[in-house]
Amino acid sequence: MKKSTKQSSAKAREQADASQLGSSEGMLQMLVEQLKEYAIILLDKDGRVLTWNAAAERLKGWKAQEIIGQHFSRFYPPEDNEKGKTEMELKQALEKGRFEDEGWRMRKDGTRFWANVIITTLRDEQGNLRGFGKITRDLSDRRQAEDKIKRQAQEILEMATVPVVQVWEGIVLVPIIGTLDSQRTQQLMERLLQRVTETSSPVALLDITGVPAVDSQTAQHLIETVSAVRLLGADVIITGIRPPIAQTLVHLGIDLNNVTTRSSLTAGLRMALSMVDKNVVVKA
Amino acid sequence: MNPDNISVIKVRDLLMVTMPPDPDDPTISALQEKVLNSMEKYEAKGVVLDISAVETLDSFFARTVSETAQMVTLMGGRTIISGMQPAVAVAATEIGLTLGNVETALNVDRALDMVNKPKPGTSHD
Repeated sequence: MKKSTKQSSAKAREQADASQLGSSEGMLQMLVEQLKEYAIILLDKDGRVLTWNAAAERLKGWKAQEIIGQHFSRFYPPEDNEKGKTEMELKQALEKGRFEDEGWRMRKDGTRFWANVIITTLRDEQGNLRGFGKITRDLSDRRQAEDKIKRQAQEILEMATVPVVQVWEGIVLVPIIGTLDSQRTQQLMERLLQRVTETSSPVALLDITGVPAVDSQTAQHLIETVSAVRLLGADVIITGIRPPIAQTLVHLGIDLNNVTTRSSLTAGLRMALSMVDKNVVVKA
Repeated sequence: MNPDNISVIKVRDLLMVTMPPDPDDPTISALQEKVLNSMEKYEAKGVVLDISAVETLDSFFARTVSETAQMVTLMGGRTIISGMQPAVAVAATEIGLTLGNVETALNVDRALDMVNKPKPGTSHD
């Protein structure tokens, strides 16, 4: 009695396993067919399309009957095909078992999308090559988002490098924050000269309160900027000379005698106003 | 280029000088000649040299202008350079060109304003 129970339960378990296996294979098939984000297709040994799923049709635009039997180079832009990219990809997949890539792919209508592609080599138990599995994911949205972030970061960087602000009629202000290297000096000079000409401002304030340290090279860059502005016919007042900076300048023996300097932006602005014949009047 | 391209016009007690976009060496030498002769002829108070059209500034130009300014000073006048383009100023600074102590102005209007004011440094303050 006990024995038969055991036997029957073992049999039942076997049956259950078998039906589960059958249904899980079916489910796997369903997954491949119904997945929306991943185009999962099989290629034969030469790279011709064997199977096609719904996501592949949605992503690439071809229907199964149109594309099965065609070479997968149809999905690549002409410039990649000229370079023999598909052969290279299959070769790498053969050597390493898989190949992964991110790049532009073509739809049926000729438009492009940014895709992540994984090609996996499929071999049977004896190690014979059966074909390739190819999984393609559309990353266009991610790519667009990345591009946008990159662009914004670049804009912020450019703005932060050298903002040139008009603070009064005839007076522009450049607050410099961070270290002044040659590249920034170049940008600073170009932007400043451009703005001075555009606004026809005879005075430019260069505030270096935000510059952590001034060495002889930074000072040289400042002097260059001043002489360029002077060639245009405007003058520069350097403000924000803090005690440690004043000390460094003197110890380094940097000659700023030809440049007007002030400790605070307030003092600089007052001076700039008097240079454009304006005075600050305190209300009685 | 024909050195006659530089125009030196007497306006009241000033000389207005304009330069072509790409002055060659003979033109630049002619500039000095013409300016000094006109200074003598009209007994002008000053010279406004407008270089807003000039696209290239070489060392010969810079030196000639700076020397001419000194000569004009000797003859009792004042020289103001006006309207240098930003790109020209950047290029000039990069190769270390200066105009010496010549006064500069953003445009002709401002140059004319400057002439009527005492020269900075010579004022009694």
